[in-house]
Amino acid sequence: MNTLAIATAVEGRKALASRMVPWTSGILVVGLAALTGGLLAAAAAGDQRVLARLGPLAEAHGWELLVGTAAQILAAGGFGACGILIAWLYGREFVDGTVAGLFALPVRRSSLAVSKLIVFLAWALVMAGALAILLWIIGSAAGLLVSDPGNARQLLRIPLLMLLTACLAVPAGWIASVARSILAGIAATIVLLILAQVSAILGVGAWVPLVAPALWAIAPDAVPWPALLAVLTVPVVFGSAIAVTWSRLQLES
Amino acid sequence: MVEPCAEVAGAARTFRGGAGVHGVDLQIAAGEIHALVGLNGAGKTTLMRLMLGMLRPDSGEVRICGIPLTELPDRAWADVGHLVEQALAYGELDARTNLVLSARLHGATRVAAHAMAERAMEELDLGRYARVRGRRLSLGNRQRLGLAAALQHDPHLIVLDEPTNALDPAGVILLREALLRRARSGAGVLVSSHHLDEVARIADRISVMNNGRIIGTLDPGTIDLERAFFSLVRSDDAGGGSR
Repeated sequence: MNTLAIATAVEGRKALASRMVPWTSGILVVGLAALTGGLLAAAAAGDQRVLARLGPLAEAHGWELLVGTAAQILAAGGFGACGILIAWLYGREFVDGTVAGLFALPVRRSSLAVSKLIVFLAWALVMAGALAILLWIIGSAAGLLVSDPGNARQLLRIPLLMLLTACLAVPAGWIASVARSILAGIAATIVLLILAQVSAILGVGAWVPLVAPALWAIAPDAVPWPALLAVLTVPVVFGSAIAVTWSRLQLES
Repeated sequence: MVEPCAEVAGAARTFRGGAGVHGVDLQIAAGEIHALVGLNGAGKTTLMRLMLGMLRPDSGEVRICGIPLTELPDRAWADVGHLVEQALAYGELDARTNLVLSARLHGATRVAAHAMAERAMEELDLGRYARVRGRRLSLGNRQRLGLAAALQHDPHLIVLDEPTNALDPAGVILLREALLRRARSGAGVLVSSHHLDEVARIADRISVMNNGRIIGTLDPGTIDLERAFFSLVRSDDAGGGSR
């Protein structure tokens, strides 16, 4: 009996049937499309506030401008969506009172915890592809395939940024598990988001995993590839912490 | 000698403020329905949580089929069914899917899980709710769903905390028959209840808990079970128990 496969199948089924997953996905897709389109339209109209917010990107054109703008939005908004979803995946068992039913099973709770992480990362992978396709459609509609065909490869930054952002949100799942609360996980997401943004503005080194993807979204050349790879330590460390937390869980009240 | 399905030996777990269980010994034999009765806060749920690994004891030991809980292989839990606190029923899933997923988590193959779910829905008369989502079920039908999930894999050890909660009279009868059937097939059953009449109908043995300890037993055939119960509890309270 492959208990991790069973746990993943069960968690996948729960996620597919939930309202949370389609709503989070929908808000992320629609939000990214609307905000990117709105910002680019405002920049094209010469709105000085928007041009100031875009910084060096305001000088860019074509795919670079489209992808750069979307990446800035995704680094913040995508992180929020990821944090909320992972906080819900773990915290819901406590809020819904189903956690007691996850004891005394041949499938270990640590396997259930890891399977939730697998489902979360699988969702991030699907979103990574969906967002890249979405921006390709927007770019194509704006005529970029004709006016700037050589830079369409810039789109590859989007799926990578989405996956890195999802990795950074894993601590929110751990907080939701320790605090046994969805809200605590969401609060952790907000705190991490503020920390990442403030650190990026202050110029904290690209080697800090929390900062690297957001910094990379603003200035890709400022962050070396190994620094982006270092982001993978976050899901490994906090995924392990989640598994240990669930393994040692007790129901005191 | 036949190993009991479950055995609690000197188990203690004390919470801040002094509540909990304090050195409880209990055995659930195969083929026996063992009822645990006591007032609110007597420690029945805590004892069941200790038996199911939801809590770790401060001292003492729990054994399932003679194996200490700390050494119990994972696969052994496939022979345990329980409903303690809320049912494992997800609001976004319909009754059938909830049962199938629960069976899968108990180690059933995909095909076997579907067959189990159909049988369980028939046994607890949940067929008409097969396609109804958990969040739309009444409290009583959610309880039936939780009971079906606990019983569908025909476990060797069954632990149910207040299983008649929210059940209508028809549900109580269905549950009674389901438990008697399983006990006749050799399962050991531990149920906690406030309903002494119901307990008298199905239990082979009745243990009385008070202030976190087993203070005595009652004969299910006792004519005035309620009087005998309160006599034991009051006598324990008057004596100060072991507090």
